[in-house]
Amino acid sequence: MTKPCFHCLEPIPEGFNVTIDFDNAKQSLCCLGCHAVAEAIIDQGMSDYYKFRTESAGKVQELVPEQLVMFKSYDDADIQSEFMDDQGDIAELLLSIEGISCAACAWLIEKQLLKLKGIVRVDVNTSTYRAMIKWQKDVVKLSEIIESLARIGYRAYPFQIDEEENQKKQTAKSYVRRLGVAGLMTMQVMMFAFAMYFGMFSGMDEDFEQYFRWISFVLATPVILYSALPFLVSAIRGLKAKQLNMDLPVSLAIFGAYGASSWATIFNTGEVYFESICMFTFLLLLGKYLEFRARLKASESTANLQKLLPLTARLIDGANETIIAAKKLVLGDVIRVKPGETIPADGLIESGSTSVDEAMMTGEHEAVFKQVNDNVFAGTINHDGVISVKINKTGRNTLLNQIIHLQNEALSKRPRIAEITDKVAQWFVATLLIFASITAIGWYQIDPEHAFWITIAVLVATCPCALSLAIPTALTCAVANLTQKGVLIKQAHVLETLPKVTDIAFDKTGTLTEGQVTIIDWQRLNSDFDDKTILLIAKSLETYSEHPIAKAFTSLSSTTTPLDDVQVITGIGIKAIYGDKRVAIGKPNWNTNTCGQFSIYLYINDTAVAGFNLDDKHRAHIDELVLAANNSSIDTHLLTGDPSQSGIKLASNYLIGKVKIGCSPADKQSYVERLSNDNRIVAMVGDGVNDSPVFNSAHVSLAMETGADISKNTADVVLLNSDLKGIIHLFTIATLTKNIIRQNLTLSLLYNGSILPLAAMGLVAPWMAVIGMSASSLIVIANSLRLLRA
Amino acid sequence: MSIIYILIPIAVLLVIIAIWVFFWAVKSEQFNNLDKQAHSILFEDDKEQHDKSNDH
Repeated sequence: MTKPCFHCLEPIPEGFNVTIDFDNAKQSLCCLGCHAVAEAIIDQGMSDYYKFRTESAGKVQELVPEQLVMFKSYDDADIQSEFMDDQGDIAELLLSIEGISCAACAWLIEKQLLKLKGIVRVDVNTSTYRAMIKWQKDVVKLSEIIESLARIGYRAYPFQIDEEENQKKQTAKSYVRRLGVAGLMTMQVMMFAFAMYFGMFSGMDEDFEQYFRWISFVLATPVILYSALPFLVSAIRGLKAKQLNMDLPVSLAIFGAYGASSWATIFNTGEVYFESICMFTFLLLLGKYLEFRARLKASESTANLQKLLPLTARLIDGANETIIAAKKLVLGDVIRVKPGETIPADGLIESGSTSVDEAMMTGEHEAVFKQVNDNVFAGTINHDGVISVKINKTGRNTLLNQIIHLQNEALSKRPRIAEITDKVAQWFVATLLIFASITAIGWYQIDPEHAFWITIAVLVATCPCALSLAIPTALTCAVANLTQKGVLIKQAHVLETLPKVTDIAFDKTGTLTEGQVTIIDWQRLNSDFDDKTILLIAKSLETYSEHPIAKAFTSLSSTTTPLDDVQVITGIGIKAIYGDKRVAIGKPNWNTNTCGQFSIYLYINDTAVAGFNLDDKHRAHIDELVLAANNSSIDTHLLTGDPSQSGIKLASNYLIGKVKIGCSPADKQSYVERLSNDNRIVAMVGDGVNDSPVFNSAHVSLAMETGADISKNTADVVLLNSDLKGIIHLFTIATLTKNIIRQNLTLSLLYNGSILPLAAMGLVAPWMAVIGMSASSLIVIANSLRLLRA
Repeated sequence: MSIIYILIPIAVLLVIIAIWVFFWAVKSEQFNNLDKQAHSILFEDDKEQHDKSNDH
C-alpha cells in the first residue's frame, strides 16, 4: 500500500510522482491541484496547518482560467448588489467556504487573507463553514480575495444570511447577555445570602442584616427586571391570546417572590428570597439557551445554501459573449450555458443539444436529453453540451420559483399538534391560582395579619422550578444526544410530535436510494480482451464525460490511459481512438447490434465486448427501518416522482405498505394532506427540491444531508451522513424523551402537590421551601441526563 | 467592620464593570465560535520570526 497524498490523504494514482519537501522529507502528492496548494501553504510559512489539523483536506481541483474569469465577475457592481449592501469604503461580506474541516483550516484562511493588503478583519466560523470578511474596497477587490482562497484550496461563494437566521442570531446574543447578568449577579447575591444564613444561627447585627438585604435587593433587581423579562413577556403574550402557558407560573413565582422580598426589604418585615429567585432564573435561562443553541447550530449548518440560481449569465449579443448579472436577464435574451453550469432562467434551446440534470426539480438523477426547441429550467444543471437558450421565463415565473411558492403556501397551513407543555401548564396554573386564592381568603378570615405572607409562601413553595425544568432539560439532553449521532433537530416540536406519528412517507431517489448510479453487474462478451483492459478502457472513456453515469465508472480501475480524438456524443456515448483501435462506450445497438440486456456497452472496433448494468444503489438499513416502523404500527408509504416500475419493485422488496409513482410535488402534497385530513400524523422523509413543498404539509419532515439545500432548509430534521439508521434512533430517542418528560412531570407535581397543603397551613419555613425546591430540581435534571447516554 | 460599608459598594462597582466588559465581548461576537479559539494557541502567529530565533 502506497502512502496517501500529503495534502488530501487520498490514495495516489499509480505512476503519478510529484513530491514536496516538508519536515526534511519528501512527501508525495496525488495531483497537481494538491501540489499547488501544498506548495503555497508551505512557502508562505503556514506549515503549522499540517501539524495541527485534525481532519484531512478535500481533494483540490486545479484552477482553470475559466474560473478566474468567473471570479472577476464578482467585482461587477450589479452582481455585487445581489449579495452586498453599499457600505462606503469598508465592504463587509459573508463567504460560504467549501472544504473547511477543522480549526486548522480557519487559521489557514485567516492567515492567508490577512496577507492581502486592505483586509480589515477576517473571522472564520468552523461550525457554519462561513467567513466574515471586512476589506477596503479601493485597495483590494473581491475577486482577489476569492482567488487567494482558491490558491490554498478553498472554494468560496458570496453568501447572504436570510432574515430568519439573522433574527435567531440576535436572539442568541440576547440570551448570552441575559445569562451573563444572571450568572454574575447570582454569585454576588448568593454570597450575601450565605452571610445571612450564618447570621441566622450565630446572630447578626440588625444594621448589617438590613444592609445585606438592601445590597441583595440592588443586585437582584437587574436579574429580575432584565434577565427574567422574557418569561414575563411570554406569559403576558399567552394571556393576551387567552392561553395559560408554562411561563405564567414561572413569572408568578419570580415576580411574586421578588415583589414580596422587596416589600420585606423596604419595610423591614418578613423574609427575603432574592438568592432563590436569582438562581432559579439563571438555571431556567441556561436550559432554554442550551436547547436554543443546539437548534441554532442545526439550522446554521443547513442554511448554507448557495443560491439555487447562478448569479451570472453569459449573454450572447451577435458574436460577443458578455457576463452579466443573472437578474438582469429579460425575456427574449439569448444566453450560452457551458457544461457543468447551472441554467439561470427558464427558456427554449436555440442551438446545441445536451443532457440536463433535473434532479433538483424531479428528484430523479437520470439526466434528461434536451435538443433544439426543448424547454430547460432555471436551477437545473447542464451536463455535457454547450447550448444557447432563448429566455422565456424569468424571476417569479420560473418553475423553480413556483415550487418555492408552493412550499411557502404550505407553511402557513401547516398542521400542528398542541404541545404537552401547554396542557400541563394550563392545568397547573389554574389549580395553583385557585389554591392561592383559597389560602388568601381562608387566612384572611382567621388571621388577617399573616394572610399575605402565607399566600406568598404558597406561591414560593409551589414555585414550579422542577416542573418548568422538567421539559426543557429533557429536550436539551435529547437534542444533544441526537446531534452527536448525526441527527440535527431544527424545530422544537419534533421530539413531541414523533411518538405520535402514525404514517411515514419516503421519497425514493436520493432517500431510500443513494441517488447516484453504480454498476451493479457487468459481463465480458468477447474473449479477445481481458478484464483489466476492458475496465481500463471503459474508465478512461468515461473520464471525458460530465454525465452522472460516468461517475459510476471511476471505481472500476485504478488508472486511466490516454486516448486520442475523443468525441462526446450527447445522449449516446463517448468514442475515441486507443492505440490502433476504435473504442466507444454508450447505448446498446450503437453502430452494431448488441445482444443481452445491458444498459451500457463497451465497443472495440465496432464489436460489443462488454455490457454493464447500472442501477441506483439502495441505501443500507431500509429493511431495519421498515421493520421498526411495522413494530411500532406505523404505516409506510413510498411517494416517488419516478414514473418507472422501479418504485413498485423497491416497495415490494422491502415490504413498504403503499406506493405511488410518478408524483409531481403537488401530488405528494395532496397525498400527505389527505392522510392528515384522516387524522393521521405524517412524517415525510425526502431530499430533493421537489420534496420541499410536501415537507411543509407533513407534521414532521426529515431531509437527507445529501439532498438539495432548499429541502434541508425547510426540513425539521436533517440526517447527517444520510444514514437511515438515524431515523430509527430518532424515533427511539423521541419515545424515550416522552417517557422521561412524563416521569419528570410526575416527580415535580408530586413534590409541589405535597408541599402545597403544608404551605397553605403555614407550616413551611422558607429554608425548607428552598431545600425542597433545589432537591426536586436536581432530581429532575439528573433524570433528564439519562437521555445523554441513551 | 464598618469598612464593609465601603468595600461592598466597591465590589458591586467591579461587578458592574465586569458586566459592561461582558456585553462588549458579546457585541463583538467573541462568543460566536468557541471551538476555534481553543485551538488558536497551537498556531504561531509569525512563523518566520520563530524559525529565525530557533536558528541561533
